[in-house]
Amino acid sequence: MVLIAILIGCILGAIIGTNAPIISYTYSSYLAIAIIAALDSVFGGISSVIKKNFDLKIFISGFFGNAILAILLTILGQKLNVDIYLAAIVVFVWRMFTNLGIIRRYYVEKWTDKLKAIKKNRNKTNENNENVS
Amino acid sequence: MKRKGKITVTITIGLSCLALSIIMFMQFKLVNETDITSIENMREEELRTELGNWKEMYEEANTQYEEKNQTLQEYKEKAESDTETSALVNQELERVNLLLGKTNVEGEGIVITLQDTTTDSEGNILSITNDNLNIIVNELKLAGAEAISINDERIINMSDIFMINDNTIMLVNGQRILTPYIIKAIGDQTYLESTLVGKGGSIDELTKQGFDIKVEKSNKITIKKYNKDINSKYMQ
Repeated sequence: MVLIAILIGCILGAIIGTNAPIISYTYSSYLAIAIIAALDSVFGGISSVIKKNFDLKIFISGFFGNAILAILLTILGQKLNVDIYLAAIVVFVWRMFTNLGIIRRYYVEKWTDKLKAIKKNRNKTNENNENVS
Repeated sequence: MKRKGKITVTITIGLSCLALSIIMFMQFKLVNETDITSIENMREEELRTELGNWKEMYEEANTQYEEKNQTLQEYKEKAESDTETSALVNQELERVNLLLGKTNVEGEGIVITLQDTTTDSEGNILSITNDNLNIIVNELKLAGAEAISINDERIINMSDIFMINDNTIMLVNGQRILTPYIIKAIGDQTYLESTLVGKGGSIDELTKQGFDIKVEKSNKITIKKYNKDINSKYMQ
C-alpha cells in the first residue's frame, strides 16, 4: 500500500517537475539541500511506518522543518563563507542509511520468515504425503 | 480506525514523495540546463559580487577620468591663453626689434655710393667728412627713411658718425669704415631721392663740388641689423 503510494507520488512528481519552469541557478544549492532533507524525511517516515510509530505531525514538521533548517544553514554558511551545508548533508545521509537499514532489515526478516514458513509448509505436506503413502 | 490511519499515512507519504520528486526533477533539469563548466565552478553569488565590485571600480575610474578630463581642459584653456599672450608678446618684441634696428630688414629704397676723394678745379684734394655723412643721414631721416646703414653699419638712434686721427679715419658706430661709402636707406624712393638730389640737397651740393656720387633706386634693399648689444647702464 505504502509502496504503491510512493510509486504514484514519484511518477506524478516527475511529470510535474519536468514540466515546471526553470528556477534561477542562484537557488540551486538551496534546492539541493532541501531535496536531501526531504529525502531523509521520507525515509524516516517509511521506517516509522514499518516500526508502527508513525506520527503525522512529526512527519510533516520534520519534512518541512528539516528542509527549511537546511536551507537556512546553507544561507548562513554562504554568509560566513563556511560550507555548513556539508554538515547537513552528512547528517541527512547518515540518517538515510540508518533508516534504510531499518527498512532493509524489516523486509529481509519478513522474507526469511516467509521462506521458512514455506519450507515448513512443504516439509509438513511432504510428511503428510509420506504418511498418506 | 486503524484502516483510516493507514490511509492517511499512505497519502501523506505519497504527497511528500510527490513534492520531493517535483523538486528533484526541477533540480535535475536546472543542473542539466546550466553550463557549469563555462562559469568555471564559480557560484553565481561570487560572480555577482565580483560584477558589483567591477562596476564600482568602473564607476570610480569613470569619475576620476572625468575629473582628469576637466582639469586637462582647464590646462588646455590656460595654455591656449598663454600661447595667445606669448604670441602677442612675441609680435610686440619683433616689432620693437624691427624699430630698434636689431633685425635684418628689406624693402624699397635707395643706395648712395660716395667716392671719398676728389680734386676740385684748383687742384685741392677734397674728401668726404663726417659732417657730409651726418647731413646726408639727417636728410634721409627727414625724407622719411625707416632704416639707414653706412657700409652695413646700421644707423640707430644712438649711432655716431665721427672722424678721428686728423680727419682721416671715419667711424660709424665706433667701427672704422672705408671708402667707398655706401649708404642704404629704406623708405619712399622718390622722396628720398628728390630730397637728396634735388636742388639744395646735400648730394646736389657735393656733386657740384666734384664728388663722384651715384644714387640708385632699388625695389629690394637689404639692410643688416645693428650687430652690437644695446645696453643701458645709467638709464633707469
